[in-house]
Amino acid sequence: MLKYLKKYRYFCVLAPLFMVGEIAMDLIQPSMMATIVDQGVLKQNMDLVFHEGIRMILLVLFGGLCGILCGVFANLASQQFANDLRKDLFARIMNLSFEQTDRFSTGSLITRLASDVTQLQQMVTLSMRGVVRSSIMFAGGIFMLYRQSPRFALTAACGLPPILFLVVFFLKKASPMFVIVQEKLDGVNNCLQETTVGARVVKAYVREDHELQRFDRANDALCNINLKVQSLLAFMTPCMNIILNLCVVAILYVGGFTMRTGGDITSGRIMAAITYMSMILHSVTFMANIFQTFTKAQASAGRINEVLYCEEAQASGHVTETQTTGELEFRHVSFSYPGNSQNILEDINLTVHKGETLGIIGATGSGKSTLVNLIPRFYDVTGGQVLVDGVDVKEHPVQALRERVAIVMQKAELYSRPIEANIRWGKKDASLQEIKRAAEIAQADDFICRTPEGYQTMVTEAGHSLSGGQKQRISISRAILKDAEILIFDDATNALDLQTESRLYQALKAECPHATKVIVAQRIASIKNADRIAVLDGGRIAACGTHEELLKTSAIYRDIYDSQLKDS
Amino acid sequence: MSENIQQPKSGQQNITATPSVNFGGRRRGPGSMGQVVEKPKDASRTLLRLAQYLGGEKLLLLILLASVIMITVTSLAAPALQGRGIDNILKKQWDRLPPLFAVLLAVYFANALFTLCQTYVSAHLSQRIVRRMRHDLFDKIARLPIPYLDTHASGDIMSRMTNDVENISTSISQSLGSLFSGILTILGTVALMFWYCWQLTLITMVTVIITVFVTKKMSALMRKVYRRRSQVLGQLNGHSEEMIRGYQSIVAYNKQSDVIEEFNKTSDELTKVSIRAEILGGSMGPLMNCISNVGFVIVSAFGGYFALLGLITVGTISAFIIYAKQFSRPINEIAQLYGSLQTAVAGAERIFELLDQPNEDNSGELPMEDVKGEIVFRNVNFSYIPGNPVLQDFNLTVKPGQKIALVGATGSGKTTVVNLLMRFYSPDSGEILIDGTNIRDINRDTLRRNTAIVLQDTVLFTDTVENNIKYADPEASAEAVEHAAQMSNSSFFIRRLPKKYQTLLIQAGAHLSQGQRQLLTIARAVLADPKILILDEATSSVDTRTEKNIQDAMVRLMKNRTSLIIAHRLSTIQDADKIVVMHQGRVTEIGSHEELLSKKGSYYDLYMTQFAGGQT
Repeated sequence: MLKYLKKYRYFCVLAPLFMVGEIAMDLIQPSMMATIVDQGVLKQNMDLVFHEGIRMILLVLFGGLCGILCGVFANLASQQFANDLRKDLFARIMNLSFEQTDRFSTGSLITRLASDVTQLQQMVTLSMRGVVRSSIMFAGGIFMLYRQSPRFALTAACGLPPILFLVVFFLKKASPMFVIVQEKLDGVNNCLQETTVGARVVKAYVREDHELQRFDRANDALCNINLKVQSLLAFMTPCMNIILNLCVVAILYVGGFTMRTGGDITSGRIMAAITYMSMILHSVTFMANIFQTFTKAQASAGRINEVLYCEEAQASGHVTETQTTGELEFRHVSFSYPGNSQNILEDINLTVHKGETLGIIGATGSGKSTLVNLIPRFYDVTGGQVLVDGVDVKEHPVQALRERVAIVMQKAELYSRPIEANIRWGKKDASLQEIKRAAEIAQADDFICRTPEGYQTMVTEAGHSLSGGQKQRISISRAILKDAEILIFDDATNALDLQTESRLYQALKAECPHATKVIVAQRIASIKNADRIAVLDGGRIAACGTHEELLKTSAIYRDIYDSQLKDS
Repeated sequence: MSENIQQPKSGQQNITATPSVNFGGRRRGPGSMGQVVEKPKDASRTLLRLAQYLGGEKLLLLILLASVIMITVTSLAAPALQGRGIDNILKKQWDRLPPLFAVLLAVYFANALFTLCQTYVSAHLSQRIVRRMRHDLFDKIARLPIPYLDTHASGDIMSRMTNDVENISTSISQSLGSLFSGILTILGTVALMFWYCWQLTLITMVTVIITVFVTKKMSALMRKVYRRRSQVLGQLNGHSEEMIRGYQSIVAYNKQSDVIEEFNKTSDELTKVSIRAEILGGSMGPLMNCISNVGFVIVSAFGGYFALLGLITVGTISAFIIYAKQFSRPINEIAQLYGSLQTAVAGAERIFELLDQPNEDNSGELPMEDVKGEIVFRNVNFSYIPGNPVLQDFNLTVKPGQKIALVGATGSGKTTVVNLLMRFYSPDSGEILIDGTNIRDINRDTLRRNTAIVLQDTVLFTDTVENNIKYADPEASAEAVEHAAQMSNSSFFIRRLPKKYQTLLIQAGAHLSQGQRQLLTIARAVLADPKILILDEATSSVDTRTEKNIQDAMVRLMKNRTSLIIAHRLSTIQDADKIVVMHQGRVTEIGSHEELLSKKGSYYDLYMTQFAGGQT
């Protein structure tokens, strides 16, 4: 974490410096006030009142300026520190593997990005302003106490070990709770997110109350742990105050005793000692607060580091010199999700050549999506190899690999920006004509043009403004625009009516003849014209061939065919 | 004047109010929703409403107040006792010291006890209020109408729940006590000052006037900045939520750097606003300090002058000055709290803004008894955006127990029919009747309980498989769950999950295939045992053989019940009693599979493409 602050070290130095200025003014000001009162007002010396008054105001103004500047620099440092941290964290999140995102859960990632970063930022501001202030006051207090009498300093010193013990004791107890607090916050966020995203289902099943109960449980858990930690810490300050005030009484006692035994202590010194003691008291209390923020921030820092420094799940390869043959091969591929011994895919062997269209069909859960997810390394194989252009996908630099592959997901993911920008994702510098052409191939141009604002029409939150088929066609446009060697449709046209779909595939065949196409589908009609069709069953390839061949040789394929076309 | 500040111009700054644009088809919020004009906001009203939340906790507030009073009293008593102790030492009255020390210690202990009490009570107070506030917010969110949710970033809504509520909680737990004791001290001091010399007090009031003036000026500035910060924070959360949720496509397209760049832009903006806000907030303390010192000089000068005139004694001046000093401390403290209070108010505004959204229309009280399941759409017109009709003079009658299929090109209005029937949206004109009763007059929850819906976008919750299936009825027995799973053909894969029905779906089922997710949602609908079943592309990711099995089961289930099916796969709907072909919001053809085929209209065309498989 410290390396993030390093960039702003000048601010980090300047802020405490100005703080010193402010404290200096704070310390001088009471004596000036005393002068004004004692020498001026009480002796009715108006000249002195005016002179000293103006001097004091000037000094106070200067002190105020220092204070403001301290705030300026402290914020420049802490906010920019938080900003850098937030940006890096977001960048890291965007580069997590799918499996890692699954593990962290989106709700938790959002909490970390928002709440945890803020905790750290507050810690930096507070420590920059507070640590300096309270340590100067503390050191100054002890020093002044010593100057009054070493005995006083000794008395105060006796109070310090128990205070130290108290601080350590409380924070040790509190520190694991802060981690739980953030975890419970994740829970609240997750619950909230699911309800907002799934609002239609919640309402359709009239489960608003149930969701509210579920949320209340998460909410109560959060409030309870918050309360627990706050209640615990509520004891800290009073306990410390008691010890420090015992010191005050002790000073009175020591002072009195010394005087009684004829020591060189005056009442003025005792009075001063008490003032300094209260100064120490304030600084220690403040310091304890800072430690508290510190502990909180530590919990947050841990959570942030967990993401920032989580193992690079996928080592990027370094093979850059490959021929772009567009060939795709699965070699003895097997796959299972972590924590689940059941293999989703087993011993898959398959080669797709440049320009070829491979259809994949099979029962629900037979591993079709999983298979194509392995190509751009969304997940990594647990056995065997996936080769693109004759090179293992793990040997490719991940970025370069994904440049070569355009995949259209089952669930069309669109973002709240104009349609044009959504399509342009495929190719940053695409001209309007290119975008239009891609949309035409994807059969999206028609409906886009019918919208009043055409390609500039905004897609609202998660594409709620579009029908399923429209969303799919926009995401297909995006993939086509990318003009990649390998084009994968993961059941990406199932919301299209059949006429539109068949037009789409025809256009695709005509316009992108060189791309290697892998099409996962449920409908025979979608893949009937593919060069080859692989039939997946229970994670294995049951058969592979053309439509006609499969009809003759594969019972499963014929079954699927019959279930769809039997009446024709 | 500072009470009413115009919001910064909405538009691209405000993600929550993305202007809706006209569009040819689909689900989307009404246009009026998009053009939310930022209303001038009233800070004092917001504070009043916040106070109402506090008002419910009278007992805690009372204890807090009592503690604060006791803390103030004990902290005033302690110095006096110390002073007496010193006097005793001076006068060498040693025997008086021990009892005095005892009293002093007692006062200190009392002070500590009341401090503990105060912190403890404010912690309770803030958590109770926050709990209630979150509860209210969630309650609102769960009851918001679908059009609102369709047009607002969920990340921004989440930001209100977490950041804004958190800010209020911090403010309450940290500031309330100081605020109380500050006000108490100020009032007490002012009263004492008046008692000593009202002329000087009036002059001291100059300071107060300056303070109020500066605070007003500053708060006008601050409120704007703090509100902007809350807004940008919401925007940032909205953006990051959308991106984290939809990050698969980002990864697939190597768009990380672009997305990150965009995030960075918002993050930079947030930093800029935050720095401005914090600096402004942090300036309050030093500024107030200056003012109170100026006030001190004024009092000294006038005090001296009055003394010269013989109006007051020197003793009065010295007492007065001590009070003037005492006066400035709480003002200082309150000023320091000002930033945090402003953050809380800005957060509260956003929270109340959401709380003030109208609930989903809940009109209609008629029960649905003995449902036959006749559905009639009569002259229904509907548009998401005025001027862009999605359904035009839509008429449809579904007889009880019939299985009706809606087909048509994407964008022809099929899903809209579902949206209207479920009362997610309401028709602009015309009426929808179930068993002859307008659904507007039927109790909304009853309507929905009798209607089960399965959507293309599967929604699963981070919970066990079993709880996901028995979502409609948490009381359902394990047998009922298994039966539903069998009917939906999902029992097969559930049995292969590590913990079967008790498997926790991480990330709402991220490790299930889309088809399996759909099967689970169908199981959920089966268990709901509805009178009317709506399947909106519910099996689009399920292979056709599995679908066939489900259909067979469904036929049994839906005997004597009405079902409405939307599908592109004609095999899914062939055996429907009636197939309704829709085109641009109108019914163009209607009839059974055979009738429509013989008609050789648009259904025939659709059918031929499916079976011809694009051999045209």
